[in-house]
Amino acid sequence: MSLIASNLCLKPDTEYHLNDVCFEMSKGEIYTIIGRTLAGKTTLLKTIAGLIAPESGSLTLDGTDFGRIPVWKREVAMVYQQFINYPHLSVYENVAFPLKQRRMPNVEIRNRVMRALSQVGLDGFESRKIQALSGGQQQRVALARSLVKEANIVLLDEPLVNLDYKLREQLREEFRNIFSAKASENSILIYSSTDPVEAMQLGGQILVMDEGRILQQASAKDVYENPNSTKVSQITNDPAMNLFEGTVADGKVIISSEIHFDLPQHCQGLPQGSYTFGLRAAAISLADGGFPFTVELSEISGSETFLHLKHEHVQVVGLLDSVQNFNIGETVSAQFDTAHLYAFATDGRLKSSPYGGLK
Amino acid sequence: MNFKHKYMFLLPGLLVLLGILIFPIGFTVRLSLSSWDSFYPGLDFIGIENYIRLFTDDLRFWEAFGRLSMLSLTTVFLQYVIGFSLALMVWKGIVFQRFFRVLFLIPMMTTPVIMTVIWRTFFHESLGPVNDFFNLFGMNPLWLSSEILAKFTVILVEVWQWTPFMFLLLLAGLLSLPKEPYLAASIDGAGPIRTFVYVTFPLMAPISIGAIIIRLIEASKIMDTVYVLTSGGPGTSTETSSFYIFIKGLREFQFGYSAALSLTYLIIMIISFTIIAKILVKLMVRGN
Amino acid sequence: MGVLYSTLKYLAVTLWSVFVIAPFLWAISTSFKDFQSVTNGATYIPWVDFEPTLEGWRALWKSPAQGGVAIVEPFFNSVFVTAAGSAISIVLGTLAAYALSRFTFKAGPIRNGDITFFFISQRIMPPVVLAIPFFIMLGKFSLLDTLVGLILVYIVLLMPIAVWIMVDFFNKVPREIDETALIDGCNPYQAFYKVVLPNSIPGIVVAGMFCMIFGWTDFFFSFILTFTEVQLLPVAIVALNSSITPWWSLSAAALVSVAPLVVVAFIVERFLSKGNLSGALK
Repeated sequence: MSLIASNLCLKPDTEYHLNDVCFEMSKGEIYTIIGRTLAGKTTLLKTIAGLIAPESGSLTLDGTDFGRIPVWKREVAMVYQQFINYPHLSVYENVAFPLKQRRMPNVEIRNRVMRALSQVGLDGFESRKIQALSGGQQQRVALARSLVKEANIVLLDEPLVNLDYKLREQLREEFRNIFSAKASENSILIYSSTDPVEAMQLGGQILVMDEGRILQQASAKDVYENPNSTKVSQITNDPAMNLFEGTVADGKVIISSEIHFDLPQHCQGLPQGSYTFGLRAAAISLADGGFPFTVELSEISGSETFLHLKHEHVQVVGLLDSVQNFNIGETVSAQFDTAHLYAFATDGRLKSSPYGGLK
Repeated sequence: MNFKHKYMFLLPGLLVLLGILIFPIGFTVRLSLSSWDSFYPGLDFIGIENYIRLFTDDLRFWEAFGRLSMLSLTTVFLQYVIGFSLALMVWKGIVFQRFFRVLFLIPMMTTPVIMTVIWRTFFHESLGPVNDFFNLFGMNPLWLSSEILAKFTVILVEVWQWTPFMFLLLLAGLLSLPKEPYLAASIDGAGPIRTFVYVTFPLMAPISIGAIIIRLIEASKIMDTVYVLTSGGPGTSTETSSFYIFIKGLREFQFGYSAALSLTYLIIMIISFTIIAKILVKLMVRGN
Repeated sequence: MGVLYSTLKYLAVTLWSVFVIAPFLWAISTSFKDFQSVTNGATYIPWVDFEPTLEGWRALWKSPAQGGVAIVEPFFNSVFVTAAGSAISIVLGTLAAYALSRFTFKAGPIRNGDITFFFISQRIMPPVVLAIPFFIMLGKFSLLDTLVGLILVYIVLLMPIAVWIMVDFFNKVPREIDETALIDGCNPYQAFYKVVLPNSIPGIVVAGMFCMIFGWTDFFFSFILTFTEVQLLPVAIVALNSSITPWWSLSAAALVSVAPLVVVAFIVERFLSKGNLSGALK
């Protein structure tokens, strides 16, 4: 079973919500759509569900034109970021709703509902009222309802974003288990998120989306190692990848009068000229013999420190794996791990990556 | 989200309404272009003569308009102030809260005409209890037959009748206010007056505006009270626009002319209310 | 400060309560009077100021020919017309309100907001404006002086209220709930009545209440459009307002007409305290 989208376009007012979207998804896989807010993720999910109709382009499932099928006849399931359940029904009735709608025999409904509730860890909650549940529990009910249908396509729109940190971590782990089981049941699972870390954790394929376009569709590993443009590198890293302008000349990379170094191994062969270079925050460390930078800001987060550094026109963020204090305006010596340097052309496209060499 | 089904939801109601209204409105327009009255019955065509007449020769219509504005603005203002005060008082911290709330709601549940008939007996200048009381002081105010007092009586009856409506809307609003600003205010040591001015009143602004507009729309139609209490009198001192249209149409049978009056009145009111609503909304946004 | 405020509060509340009750007390007292007690000046307390009689109350059953008021039939006519008019208005109005809240309509320059405005602007029209055309129109269809004719007119009166209240209410129900129902296999009709409607009961109750209040208390339309066959309560009572007004039966009839909605007042207050009303009315 495969879901194929070609050239989906939607422009309700002045901006594109969907701009020439194309992708191909197959059963048994998890796909994470990652992008910033307002990138079009929710619009895409709702288009797949049938709630929004694209102005042009097509969506086909196994060759059948999805566009002709109304929402209620498509075999999809969706979980929203706001905990959406039917307020007037109990937990059991909520989860049983889609099955009742299909006129399934009561015995089978009971089996499926109890099984789904068990999967999400809500055994014994059948007769509770929705309003009496906590946020996390409500979201589990929503998830149970989406699982119980055994739909072809399961859509999840940032389902964890409204939960607190600890709960999010816990549910993410549980989701992963549920989803791997689900995925092997021949469904297509589509999960949207703004958090690159979450996307990477779920594994599966990643679709990077921005301004209504799919910028890259690849495995998580591939997107990490070879982001195909500066935009993708921004979206898929947290903190965002440091980008700075520079030139390649005579076997050297020149950023500024004081920042220059030898062309790294994987960049040999790059034609001379201007480039935008990228370096992850973790690839910048403090050590003697590095480049002089002024501390603009130092943020302590958990057991790490994010150090905002500036040198002339170059502004970078470095990640230190311990808690350190700095004074604003202090000069430090920063080392660049050039073996992990990315080179992008001036138009943003990837030219050389530490993991794949020249493109 | 747009499905073909949407028409099935909207159209029954819309079509029924249009269906029942189309003839009356269309007919009124046509009528206003004729001179149908009891002397010359029939649908002739005189163009916009009726409109010219009402704009140049009919002071009474515009006076009625002025009176209507005065009466509605006064009554709605009073209803708002009193209604808000009552709502604040029975909001919390009062004994017999439920009793007072139900009691204060009752007048709006009554039929205005019927209560006005009772008020008529109440204010009866020789046999009513009000003057019985005033007679003790040697006074016999002419509640229904003096120009100024008649206006007062009409306002009084309207206030009695419709303050509960404001009271209901405002109390519902008060009961739905969030608690946090009040906690903050009490931590800051604000007394009841400051709390009201800086917390309650601003929070209630959107509801206040909605309530005032709704009441103004209803108040502008005032008819029953005037009809029963004073019949527009004495003279024309309590004659409002709808009463004047009523007289011209169903007492003097000048159908054509009253149709023109009706349409003009309608258009003026729709424009006025749209403007009033826009102004109030702007005031509210500015206040925020 | 607290004591002063408290005293003022109770004083004000009591004053207003007296103002509210005054006409009712007067009506109760008057309903037990007869011609003598009324025309000899104002009288108040039974047995002290005057001799009470049940004439006023008995007259409610007698027809005008027998010197009575006969409000029994008008009373039930009012109940029927108000109930039927309200029911139809609420059904049609709620459906229309749902459409206006959820879907987008476009007919040339006309959008949702304009359609809603059309519904609501019906309230601006004073009954007088519609009375004459309705008179002629109902005449053409032989619906004058009939219950059906009156119900049709009441629909124009009450549907705008239903639409006004329900559009506001539906806007507050998250549309994601509708969407989930659709995804779960409901077509739009099923989504509406299985999921949205059960969660809109407070709104419908409020709409129903206001419809009943405005329906029961209408005077003008029934005044113009009915004569002898069908009479509604307010008309029957005002008809007594002639040169020799029988104050006693008038008061008795008035009290009877007020009673049903006092029950509604109780229901309203219940809703208010439970917080359901606040959401619906905003």
